[in-house]
Amino acid sequence: MKGSFAFFIHWLWAIVFGVLAISGFAMIGAKYGWIVNYSLAAADYVHRVSASFFVILTVLAIGNEVWRAWKNEVKALPWMIIGPSGYQLFNFITALILILTGMLIWVCSDFNRAQIAFSLYVHEFIAYVVLVGVIWHIYQKCHALNSRRQKPKV
Amino acid sequence: MLHQPWFKVFIWFLAAFFFFLVAAVVISVLSPGPSESQIHQFMIGSMDAMDRSMMGAAMHLRHDVFLTSVMVLTASLTVPLIALGLFLGLLIWFRRSLCSEKS
Repeated sequence: MKGSFAFFIHWLWAIVFGVLAISGFAMIGAKYGWIVNYSLAAADYVHRVSASFFVILTVLAIGNEVWRAWKNEVKALPWMIIGPSGYQLFNFITALILILTGMLIWVCSDFNRAQIAFSLYVHEFIAYVVLVGVIWHIYQKCHALNSRRQKPKV
Repeated sequence: MLHQPWFKVFIWFLAAFFFFLVAAVVISVLSPGPSESQIHQFMIGSMDAMDRSMMGAAMHLRHDVFLTSVMVLTASLTVPLIALGLFLGLLIWFRRSLCSEKS
């Protein structure tokens, strides 16, 4: 059951991150707007709604890891999105930075311009890093793309 | 499930999506400009977002006293929650090290 939870959350997280990435990159600047045909209102809506799902999934994953740590479970969950080492640790750190800076951008848009500028810079930079990380992750796990059907044994 | 044909198609789709996204970002970064029409379209899109999206809704929040107080309360709770999280993390780490010493 735990394996299926990690599997489910992994792919749901991938979909949500994909939606966040395409809507977020389109809002960076005038050179990027063509990605969504300059429908920035729609991109803003989609980005904020999917960010909420992203936060919920991340909190669920963190809760699961804390529960496992509390129970002293040392068995690794390879499908889990966050973990103590490797790409899971990279995911954990970058997701927290993205969530924190995203919340600052959302909340401080009215009363702290310096904070919002700094958060936007960090948010964008980490998004590039994460995108490269995703490509690296796909490269590492490219055996999952193997679609050759095995002949049934006679 | 991983070996189901429909799931393979899904994985291929998602992988291709991210590669196309990287290509779009590279094209955007390396393309000349932005041109005047691109800036114009982006400005129109931004204004539209301020009027019709959640950005506009968020900008109107400042006139709502209750919601503003909730936001201030939430912001003030952030630091204690991070401190509590760090404390719980240390507690778990200490508990695990004790358990590993026993075994």
